[in-house]
Amino acid sequence: MKLQVKIAMYNAFSKAIIIIGIGLFLPVIVSQEAYNHADNRLMARKAKAMSMLKHHELDEIIHDQDCTFDDYNIFKEEYISISPVAKLTPDFGKEKIENVAMNIENEVVKHRVLSQGFIYDNQLYNLQIGEGLKTIEQFNISLRAFTIKVLIIVILLSIFFDLGFSRILLQPFNRIIKAKLKDVTHPSSFQFTKIKTSTTEFAYLDSSINEMMIKIKEAFDIEKEFISNVSHELLTPISILHSRIENIIADERVLEDVRLKMVESEKTLIRLSKIIKTLLYISKIENEQYLKNESCSLKTIIGDVAGEIEERLTDKNITLTQEWKEDFIQQSSNSSLLHTMFFNIINNAIKYNKQDGQIKIKGYKGERDFVVSIEDTGIGINPLDIAKIFDRFKRFQNEDGKSFGLGLPIVKTISNFLNIKREVQSEKDSGTIFILRFPLI
Amino acid sequence: MNILIIEDERSLSHEVEIFLNKQGYQCDVAFTGKSASEKVFINTYDFVLLDLGLPDMDGLELLQEAKKAGKEAAFIILTARGATDDKIKGLDLGADDYLAKPFSLPELQSRMQAIVRRKHGLKTNKMTIKDFELDILNRMVKCKNKDINLTKKEFDLLHYMALHKNRVLTRNQLTEHIWGDILEDDYESNYIDVHVKNLRKKLSVFAPADFIETVRGIGYRVNI
Repeated sequence: MKLQVKIAMYNAFSKAIIIIGIGLFLPVIVSQEAYNHADNRLMARKAKAMSMLKHHELDEIIHDQDCTFDDYNIFKEEYISISPVAKLTPDFGKEKIENVAMNIENEVVKHRVLSQGFIYDNQLYNLQIGEGLKTIEQFNISLRAFTIKVLIIVILLSIFFDLGFSRILLQPFNRIIKAKLKDVTHPSSFQFTKIKTSTTEFAYLDSSINEMMIKIKEAFDIEKEFISNVSHELLTPISILHSRIENIIADERVLEDVRLKMVESEKTLIRLSKIIKTLLYISKIENEQYLKNESCSLKTIIGDVAGEIEERLTDKNITLTQEWKEDFIQQSSNSSLLHTMFFNIINNAIKYNKQDGQIKIKGYKGERDFVVSIEDTGIGINPLDIAKIFDRFKRFQNEDGKSFGLGLPIVKTISNFLNIKREVQSEKDSGTIFILRFPLI
Repeated sequence: MNILIIEDERSLSHEVEIFLNKQGYQCDVAFTGKSASEKVFINTYDFVLLDLGLPDMDGLELLQEAKKAGKEAAFIILTARGATDDKIKGLDLGADDYLAKPFSLPELQSRMQAIVRRKHGLKTNKMTIKDFELDILNRMVKCKNKDINLTKKEFDLLHYMALHKNRVLTRNQLTEHIWGDILEDDYESNYIDVHVKNLRKKLSVFAPADFIETVRGIGYRVNI
């Protein structure tokens, strides 16, 4: 999930918790406050009633109404009642406030009721003053609805603003990734310019990446120099020896058995020189000293390789067939590297094939890539060894004992360099399929 | 023909000199850029074999100066640096060919001969070995006016052996010539023997091909 979305969601979540908290507690607090107000009003009314009683203003009501008096206002919101009490209870005379559900004219109405006992003319009375709770409850309900609405609006607004803000905030981050990491394929194209940002963390990231890039570039340059030095320092003495041996072999005055030994020495020297050249070749590709600036037709290159290798096929009487659904042009490629890669694979398919065997080359467009498969009817590879065939100097099929074990490492290096995926399927004694997958774009 | 060998490794220039003298070339040597540049400007050479890694100057610089001064000599670059950039730069600056060290001496000679052929037009583009006529430009072999169908490699092999007639060529020298650029994983393949076998078979249909001699333990020789 994007950091931007995450930030917006965390923000919305924390706001939601606060608002839900407020939504839950606010009605409770508000209704408590409303009760307090109602109680104060009830007590004021009680005080008034008591004072009226004292001044005998209620005598008439008490005496005339057969000792019981009830009065409601029209909307059943307020009422007062005075009724005689027969027996004295221990808590008589104490003021009591409670919520009472009252049945008034077949309608249940909740009231806040204050009860107070008093003695008047040696008679026990109970005074009740009530106020309807409907208003308070309705206020609570609308408060809750309002809170929920505000909650939803605030969360939506917050997600909207946070997304926008974090997008602006993260812009330098995206610029750093693009300029410093994604668009860079080789140390020579490193960008060391600072990316403009006011965020300390991003500036820190930028400078850290710069430091790392400088180190990588240094390592690359050192390797490049090393390759050049090794080439010169090792290949020059080999070249001297090679020429000297050639001159000795060509010299008719030299005894034949010495010349034969010189031929063997020449072989050994060429072996040494080939190993050095191959290792340098691999290092140079890994050091990105080869350009990727050609558009290469796979069909043409494989055709060239097949032509070049024709005699080797004839020698073992191997039939090579090609099935192309269509050609594929690899952009930003290198024809000489592709040639070497296919040469090594097809040469292996010949070398480890049986007499009168077959090689099938197929080229077709897959779902996500262009596939070239090279299938042989050779001796196959032990399943346990497949993972190791690309390792340098590992030899598994060396029945002739005359290879360095560098053919497939070259294939590995070139395919990595040109973004080609490799797959090898093989069955011992029945053959090997070498699959190369070229990215479509 | 006059040749200037510019190479700071004295042992190497000595071996090259021995070989070329034997083939009838006149050799001059220079071990530093300074002496090389003096010699290039004073004398007239047919070939300059140029090592790029000179102690006192870059070989490419020398090449550039010589070409600017209108020197006619053909330049062959010999280098152990093996950088592809250098190769392209060298050829762009007017070098005629490029050989990476270690190189084979007969290969050097055949490159020189190819340059001579290129420079002096089409006259020398036909070659005869006994009853066979080689058309080098079109890579064709004829015998008594009949075409012989050789593969590219078979033709190259025959042509190379004919160039170095009466001299033993080792399997390595032949391999290097026809498979030169490819870094092969094998170091002791018998492909040269297969090629020679096929070549003899194809030629002997038309006329005796016993001029291709197997030199036991060493390689092959074309005797004319």
